[in-house]
Amino acid sequence: MKRIVIVAALVAMGAAAYAAPPAGGPPPMPPYMLRPLAPEGDRLKPGRDGKTVFEAQCGYCHLVGGMGTNLLTKQQMMAGNPPEKGLLSNRDDLTRDYVKAVVRMGKGAMPQQTKVDLTDAELDAVAAYLGKAG
Amino acid sequence: MKLHLPPRVSPKQFQSAMTAFAGVVGKDWVMDSDADRDAYADTYAPGSTEEWPASAAIAPASVDEVRAIVRLANEHKVPLWPVARGKNLGYGTAAPRMEGTVVMDLGRMNKVLELDSTLAYCVVEPGVGFYDLYDKIQREKAPLWLSVPGNAWGSVLGNALEHGIGYTSYGLHARNLCGIEAVLPDGDLVRTGMGAMNNNPAFHLFPMSYGPTWDLAFSQSNLGIVTKAGVWLQPAPETSLEIVWDIPKAEDIGWVIDTITPLKISGLIDQNVFIPSWLGKMVLKGQRKDFWDKPSAIPDWRVEELLKEHKLGYWQVALRLYGEEPVVKARAEVVKAAMKRNLAAAPQENWWRQGDPIGQYDTTMGVPSAVPLQMSDWIGGRGAHMGFSPVVPATGKHVLDQMARSRKIIADFDVDFYASFTIGGRFANNVNMLMYDRDNAEEVTKMRKLFDALIIETAKAGYAEYRTHLGWMDPVMETFDFNNHALRRFDEKVKSALDPNGIIAPGKQGVWPAAYADKRGSAYKGGQ
Repeated sequence: MKRIVIVAALVAMGAAAYAAPPAGGPPPMPPYMLRPLAPEGDRLKPGRDGKTVFEAQCGYCHLVGGMGTNLLTKQQMMAGNPPEKGLLSNRDDLTRDYVKAVVRMGKGAMPQQTKVDLTDAELDAVAAYLGKAG
Repeated sequence: MKLHLPPRVSPKQFQSAMTAFAGVVGKDWVMDSDADRDAYADTYAPGSTEEWPASAAIAPASVDEVRAIVRLANEHKVPLWPVARGKNLGYGTAAPRMEGTVVMDLGRMNKVLELDSTLAYCVVEPGVGFYDLYDKIQREKAPLWLSVPGNAWGSVLGNALEHGIGYTSYGLHARNLCGIEAVLPDGDLVRTGMGAMNNNPAFHLFPMSYGPTWDLAFSQSNLGIVTKAGVWLQPAPETSLEIVWDIPKAEDIGWVIDTITPLKISGLIDQNVFIPSWLGKMVLKGQRKDFWDKPSAIPDWRVEELLKEHKLGYWQVALRLYGEEPVVKARAEVVKAAMKRNLAAAPQENWWRQGDPIGQYDTTMGVPSAVPLQMSDWIGGRGAHMGFSPVVPATGKHVLDQMARSRKIIADFDVDFYASFTIGGRFANNVNMLMYDRDNAEEVTKMRKLFDALIIETAKAGYAEYRTHLGWMDPVMETFDFNNHALRRFDEKVKSALDPNGIIAPGKQGVWPAAYADKRGSAYKGGQ
């Protein structure tokens, strides 16, 4: 039952993000999240822009309304945390090593990511961006 | 994952091939560590990923690099398994059919080379994903729509070449391909259609070659590596109307098909009409254990209860019309009147007009989404799925017959029945989704046996799959038995002539080059 309430809350969150649904229009859902262009330059060199890489390469699932965000929001709420924690960029309990392990090994519904998806240099940058717990 | 060498290749030969490949792409793009092999394993493997192990992956950045690698692969007798973005989830992900094959990941070749709003097409490289193309169209404010598959994480070309389907008027994705550039097994480079002439501006517009037309010979194929192709796109319509009917009973699918198919064939409905069963909605509402806490299949009485509780029909038809408003209105009247003959309840109608926002999950409006993959969470653990996907004639009789058969087999295995039918014209694609926890060995074994049974029983009834997982490529090819497997003989004659070393994707779709003919049926023994 708790889960069903959470799902209802998720739908409501989505509705809030949906600017102005037309009268009698489709059921509210979050708008498409345009991802930034991947940063220019050599993907193998250190010093990539972690936030932009994250949004461009992980944004398929980890921006508002994405598959990863939806599942993590549910998990976070089950654990008694606020729904915003479903967005990885709002987490302050992730470590760099944990981020790297999940990206390379996959976790739950998330498949593992190859070095073509995310190079080691890009992963370092993303891990630095998300790994606020050190 | 430990190193599995390709057949008849020594560790020394393998190492020298890797060194030669690194000379082309740079050592960073030759990925041959244990962790790299894991990264290219089948993420939803029904069993051990070591049944379909890659020895390494290599990622070229240009056509010239692809050609150079193919030549070296011939020299070193190291086979290649080309993938566009390697996201063929449910069918093997990026993993190769034959052990030790080197994955050629084309994900770095990700340029949108042309985007033409006037003639509504684009030219893309294999690494361009649905999201990439959608973002490009949004940025350029091009009046074009995509057709996207249920999971849009993958490649536009990869999906079309694998015969993927979407849910718009352009939903038969292989049909949208026009004008292909491919590297052949000897490293030669060919362009099909009008592209066979230098600088011909109709390369991606006229769908046939002068003489034999080869475009689709490169789809579900191991005859070449597609390095770019034209893809026709839908002009953004003025308006769109979604009409939603909840269809109460499983058996109602018969009249639904008989109502919609003639309208689809006549052109009044131009969309690929996707008809998912109730479970398609349910998997997004929580986890299986929230609704049925036993490992056994959800019984019919509980299904009835759930449909009532959640106000769902057994099926949902969310049909979408596209075009100028008066035309859409007129079409809608015809469709509604046809449906009303069997269903009194008025449908829900959702209008969209140019300028209105489009939601993130509007796949029937060409918006890419990976949210359907949330179904992995339904079972829990390392949730995975495989699709059993036969094609049937789009009549109520055939569809009901197919449904009854799959449903009974799936029930006999005590597994939940999660089916959808997509009406693509004169045919319907039936996908039976089988969801399982990869870490539950007993469940995985059961699913494999079930998959075997579905293929065999469905073939006995005269129907075949349009696409399948690596582990069943040989068994499914085996079902195409006209004139003692004449199609496979032809495929393999062509394959062996073009690719004497069997370098490109040996075993793909059950087509084996002479060089690896002894590998047919290897690795997977069926339901064990």
